[in-house]
Amino acid sequence: MHSIFARINNTSALLSSCMMALLAAIALSTLVFTARPEGNVSVASVQVYSGNTRRYATKRQDLAFVDFNITADFAPLFNWNTKQIFLYLQAEYNTTTGIKNEAVIWDRIIRRKEEANVNVIGKNKYNLRDLSTNFKNAPPASYSLKYNIMPYVGALTYGEAARNLRTCCVPPAKDPCIIFV
Amino acid sequence: MFTEELKAFRRLGFRHVLLQVLNFASVIASGLMIWKGLGIVTNSESPIVVVLSGSMEPAFYRGDLLFLTNPSSEQYKTGDITVYKIPGAEIPIVHRVMETHDVPKSIDIRKYTKSKSKSKPQPGEDSKQDNQLLLTKGDNNYVDDIELYQGLEWLEKKHIVGKVRGFLPYVGYVTIAMNDFPQLKYALLGGLGLLALIQRE
Repeated sequence: MHSIFARINNTSALLSSCMMALLAAIALSTLVFTARPEGNVSVASVQVYSGNTRRYATKRQDLAFVDFNITADFAPLFNWNTKQIFLYLQAEYNTTTGIKNEAVIWDRIIRRKEEANVNVIGKNKYNLRDLSTNFKNAPPASYSLKYNIMPYVGALTYGEAARNLRTCCVPPAKDPCIIFV
Repeated sequence: MFTEELKAFRRLGFRHVLLQVLNFASVIASGLMIWKGLGIVTNSESPIVVVLSGSMEPAFYRGDLLFLTNPSSEQYKTGDITVYKIPGAEIPIVHRVMETHDVPKSIDIRKYTKSKSKSKPQPGEDSKQDNQLLLTKGDNNYVDDIELYQGLEWLEKKHIVGKVRGFLPYVGYVTIAMNDFPQLKYALLGGLGLLALIQRE
């Protein structure tokens, strides 16, 4: 009972049980917060160009460019267990053939409460393309702003902050052919 | 150092040695049972993984532990953080889903996946859900993962090991250290084995 081995054994067992209890308490304590921030998404314009991006299979396909305006405040989501919030704006549409598509066109990482007030007028960061390589028969798309809270310890949570109810039509492709790298 | 241990073993007899070995084996077996049981409950072949690369910083650093589930009755959504394995690459990759395309069963998905197989895909357990084509990207990368797919244009559900649900920081660094310094792995295993066999309680 008094050998060094027994002492080390006991202290390390106590240390690990206390550590696990502390981590569990931190993870569970964040369940108390149920803030649901609201924001606003509006789409200014959608333009479609036919282009060739060498990133994907080298074929000509339609690429859509979306100009949007986002305002939202995510400060209520920050607590002691929030490491960062990942925001993403996605376009959702169902084609006439029955394929449901959701694509993220813009994202941002918020690491501190001071940056949590988001007011962005921008355009899509990522290529928006369709499986059938053209947007000819594409129905109007709706745009939603979603967030993912990543904690220091515990479970990841997701939520939706805003949705553009007035869906915008995707126009047919314009003639200018632009080559993208 | 071992002489008194050996004398004690000789006194207690051969049966005692066998009992020690049996205890050791049952500890190993129950560990394996817990691991496989967790894999069945979460429907994932590897429900706990360690982050190996820095492509999801600042969310996940190397050495963090992730808890995965792979619900067969749910579709993957954009924003989910998934762990996937490309056939031909052994390392699982942890990245976030950027695009999902749910293709209903009435359309043959092989039109979009350039698959060379002639046989029809088996319905299997996911016959209730549409097939999905996914595109992923690491948060810390500028571009999506097309180059990592080794020729595939889209990921399918069969490539995905699971979706990240929970997270513990730093705990997995032991496995990374053991991979980088294999002597540490042998030393640890050897020490643990020796302790387990010599302990008399």
